[in-house]
Amino acid sequence: MLIHFILLFLFAGVPYYVYLEKTKTLEKEKIFFLSTALLVCGIIIDTLFPQEVSMPFVIIAFIASLYSLYRANKTTNLYKLGYYVLFFNAPVLMLFGPEESVLYALSMLLTLFGLYFIAKYYERNYGSANYQSVSGITLVTPYAGLFLTIYLTALALYPPFPNALLFLNGILSSDTHFMWYIINSVIFFGNFLIAMRVMAKTVFGKPNDNVHYVDLTLKERRLHLFIVIILLLLSIVGFKELLS
Amino acid sequence: MSIQEKLKAVQNTVPHYWPIGAFIHHNPLKGFEDLNFKEGVEKAKSIFGGKVYMDPDYYIARYNKGKITSESLEKNLQKALQSSDFGDYAEQAKTFMLTISPDWNSLRSYEELKINEIDEDLHSCLEKHSIYMDKEAWLEALTKHMTFYEIHDALFGTTEKELIEKDIIEYIARYLDEAQTTLSMADRELGMFNTFKLYENIEHTGDSEIYVQEILEKLKVKDVEKYFLTHILKLHGWAGFIKYRSEDDSYYSQQEHPSTLMDYMAIRLHFERKYIGNETINNFDILHSYIKENMEFSILKLLQSKGKLTGTYNDAMEEHRDYKEILNAYVTDEINLNSLQIQLAKKRLPELDMSLVDFGKFTHFLKKEEGYIWLKSLEDSYITHYVDEFTSTHTYTEKPLAAGIFCLDVRSEVIRRKIEESGAYSTFGAGGFLGLPISFVEFDKAHATALAPAVIKPNNIVFEIPTESHDEYNEKKGVTKTYKKVLNDLKNNPYTPYIMVEAIGWAFGVKLFGKTFFPGKTQKLFSKMKPKKPKTTYTLNKLTEEEIEKYVKRLHINLINEVLTTQSNTSLDNLEIEKLWEHLVFDNMHCTSVPFDMIEKLKDSYHVTPEDYKTQKERLKMVGFTLDEQAMYLENLLKMIGLLKDFPKFVTIAGHGSLSDNNPFESALDCGACGGSISLPNARALCMIGNKKEVRDLLKTKGIEIPEEVKFIPSMHVTTTDEITFYDTDILNEDEKKQFEKVKKDFNAASLESREERVKVLPNAKIQEDLFTKTMDWSEPRPEWGLAGNMGVFAGPRDSTRHLNFGNRLFMHSYDWKVDNNNADLLTRIFDGPLVVGEWINLEHYFSTVDNKTYGAGSKVYHNVVAKVGVYNGNYSDLKIGLPTQSVLTEGEAYHEPVRLLTFMEAPLDTVAKAVENSIAKEFILNEWIRPIIIDKEAKKVYSYEYGEFIVIKELD
Repeated sequence: MLIHFILLFLFAGVPYYVYLEKTKTLEKEKIFFLSTALLVCGIIIDTLFPQEVSMPFVIIAFIASLYSLYRANKTTNLYKLGYYVLFFNAPVLMLFGPEESVLYALSMLLTLFGLYFIAKYYERNYGSANYQSVSGITLVTPYAGLFLTIYLTALALYPPFPNALLFLNGILSSDTHFMWYIINSVIFFGNFLIAMRVMAKTVFGKPNDNVHYVDLTLKERRLHLFIVIILLLLSIVGFKELLS
Repeated sequence: MSIQEKLKAVQNTVPHYWPIGAFIHHNPLKGFEDLNFKEGVEKAKSIFGGKVYMDPDYYIARYNKGKITSESLEKNLQKALQSSDFGDYAEQAKTFMLTISPDWNSLRSYEELKINEIDEDLHSCLEKHSIYMDKEAWLEALTKHMTFYEIHDALFGTTEKELIEKDIIEYIARYLDEAQTTLSMADRELGMFNTFKLYENIEHTGDSEIYVQEILEKLKVKDVEKYFLTHILKLHGWAGFIKYRSEDDSYYSQQEHPSTLMDYMAIRLHFERKYIGNETINNFDILHSYIKENMEFSILKLLQSKGKLTGTYNDAMEEHRDYKEILNAYVTDEINLNSLQIQLAKKRLPELDMSLVDFGKFTHFLKKEEGYIWLKSLEDSYITHYVDEFTSTHTYTEKPLAAGIFCLDVRSEVIRRKIEESGAYSTFGAGGFLGLPISFVEFDKAHATALAPAVIKPNNIVFEIPTESHDEYNEKKGVTKTYKKVLNDLKNNPYTPYIMVEAIGWAFGVKLFGKTFFPGKTQKLFSKMKPKKPKTTYTLNKLTEEEIEKYVKRLHINLINEVLTTQSNTSLDNLEIEKLWEHLVFDNMHCTSVPFDMIEKLKDSYHVTPEDYKTQKERLKMVGFTLDEQAMYLENLLKMIGLLKDFPKFVTIAGHGSLSDNNPFESALDCGACGGSISLPNARALCMIGNKKEVRDLLKTKGIEIPEEVKFIPSMHVTTTDEITFYDTDILNEDEKKQFEKVKKDFNAASLESREERVKVLPNAKIQEDLFTKTMDWSEPRPEWGLAGNMGVFAGPRDSTRHLNFGNRLFMHSYDWKVDNNNADLLTRIFDGPLVVGEWINLEHYFSTVDNKTYGAGSKVYHNVVAKVGVYNGNYSDLKIGLPTQSVLTEGEAYHEPVRLLTFMEAPLDTVAKAVENSIAKEFILNEWIRPIIIDKEAKKVYSYEYGEFIVIKELD
């Protein structure tokens, strides 16, 4: 029971970002780091102290997840989006077995770090990680467009990116019940909707004439390439897990 | 002012849009030609947005390559500075344009703002002059050309625009459909608005004007004229097409399914009201009060919708902070960034002794003027170069064996040059319709095509009729027709497509794979199945009264016979049918066994009426030409090009056309002077006229003696491959045929060499065969460069230009001012036809290049043909105006070099002045939408028309 409470607090049911955002105690970027740190702690605890799935806790986490989905679809800030996605996916981490949770969380964190670096790049060149007015980047900043497309495609659970394969692996390894169907369906389509909304607004469309576009630097490109390579390696792991 | 008058006052802002099947190049800013070019483009920019000049980088690259000379840049810069207070700063202005201006936007940097201090004087000056201090004015500027639903969407995050415009496009595309769909909209003959009332179940007894008035009142629109313009601009491609239809009475679809801009406006406003009506804020009065109460929020939301808020402010808006605070921060930042931009620019001109405030004014002036300065400098550089070349002396004395008359089209330039180089040949250029405007009815076709510039309505009809048996043609045609009908029926039946795909879908795969991987072989295979057209001739002579009478009677009698046989099983003998016809047409008393309803049907549905009898007679009177007309047209052409004596043995007149597959813009590559059609019929008709003895006899009386042995031979120049095919050579005797073989051989060699030259500039083409493949490749977006690159026109003797390689960039019209009369009628005719078409072509290319998003059609990749009248993006969008990116750009860079048409005329100044005065082109010539240059060899002066006057730019030796 205690473990469930801890898990719920660490990565699932308590959207503490509401307080942090409202009081401006922490910057969005810091909230993202705090969320990822807590998620990692939660995953470690979950691995060290395996226990049965507790439905009431999962349902609480799912309600919080739905709220995060709502917030994710309202924001145009990439930092915020990062931690909303974490919270949104939390119920499946509680539903999956420990090994599957770790793998799915790992692929999600890696993708979100990719997104975080894109957010950093936005902040440096466009004043903030908000993408509202930075449209059509594929046409004017092809490298940034390419990497953001990869991260969003991965988040949208498109194979062969590891998120999709490890999500499927988690589904196949866990026990089915009524809530299982609802939660997995919502999380699956929710991830897709969140990612596609961002894609439509910043990756595609007409470039904004009011914005002076600057593409990723060579150093940034190398960093993103490194992340993509690790994602591909995780994909191999995902395939292996699925086939086994 | 009535509602109709208010609409009329703004409708010319958008140009006509001609259906894509007969693509007419046009100036997208035609509605602004009453203004000087510079003012016109600025005004258009304020309405349409977008760019009207290329970016500084583009011109600087040309300057660095030497295409823009330093002298022309300095001269134009100096001229511009003279009109300001900065006349003494020419050197600094030049440095600014060459080194600072390209980086201008990057100087507005938030990063730099953090480390630079802002000059207070400059900041206060910019603040004082900025629009931000007057919120009302700022708001008005932001909502300029925004409809109610757009403002609503911007303020409240609704998506009404998408719904409204989708509904509008869906209706108008279906209503204006020209047989693309098999399920046509019902009741279209009632007119666009009346059909719409049925479509939307609107219970309204008035016409569209009354309906518009009512909705405007409901929306509480204050400035109706301005609101009409706003609505027209939303889908201005469709608006331009409806405008064109409504102003062309002879447009068949308009006669069948009438539409007006007022109808269109009624439809737009109906949907606007329909979607907005349910909202709390549903008229301008309520909207204005809301905005007044929430001024800061409204401004911020409008800025956000226009993409003008940067991320920081978008974050603040998302967090619902104090909007007043956000707006103040925004204004401060904007002014700081503007100040910073000027300060950083000034740092790059350390030697300049000028205060920051004055420097701000200096940069503002230069940024406003630089586009025009660069454009004019580029044009002037070309003018200087070509004037030197055109005025150098070159004489050609060899008597030619043949003369080739080609269209003045830029694509004729290379083939003309190669023909002249290949032997004793001379060439001439004239408008592709050869001054012979005809309505042409091709063999086996039921409709006439106007082969003349869009501004000229042909008065003569020419039929193409077979001169040999065509049973095989009929047989093959019959099979093809049956095959197509069966296929169409199977496709359009609601049930059969599923079975059809399974059963015979694979058969289409053969063509699909063949056309993709082996286009040449597939084309060859399928061309064997196509029926081969028999030899034909044209009906050039007028019909006699008796013949006209006989043909109309036969037409009606055949119709009556067919209707009676097929629809009423009544069989009448010929005499009775004739009496029935007389009854129907002349109202003669007649007793008949034909039922009354059948007689009524013959009148109402088949139009066997006195009116139709008259109409048919009038139409038949238009067939062919009188002998005088024939002689006149030939005389006009010969005088126009200056070929009045020393005729060579053969005079070939070339029509031209293009070949491509799966290309909705194919007609844009055909002859512009023939309304976007192939100009071969004009060439054949004129050659037939030229070979007539009676015509030559008549011309002899007018002083033009064409020797008997001279033969006019028509030909077809395929601009995609530069092939030339000769027609009607059977008029030659055996000896002549032998002589003509040499001409053919030399012309073929010239074609080959032209292709060698062409292949070098066309992307994805390495060898000549690639050019042929491009004509058959259905995935080829750029079968040829077409008219891209067009830069100027030369009207004068060919000898002045023959030594030059223009790289397919010059329209060349042969003209000898000495042949012209005192009223400059010949030159006026060149201005009225070819020059008008040339200007339209040139400016369409200009604007499609400088801003393809605003004035062009975008990429062909996303195009879908809609209603058989044009293309749009995806499954609904505005009708795409202008040219696709593939026609003017290559790999994102401009292939076409946008300059105004450099119009070189070799004639005395007086002659040109008279022609300008008499011409319909006067407005755009005097307003400098082209660049007129007069080479007056008599006065030994070269003039350029600029800044409203003719100035001497060169004295000749």
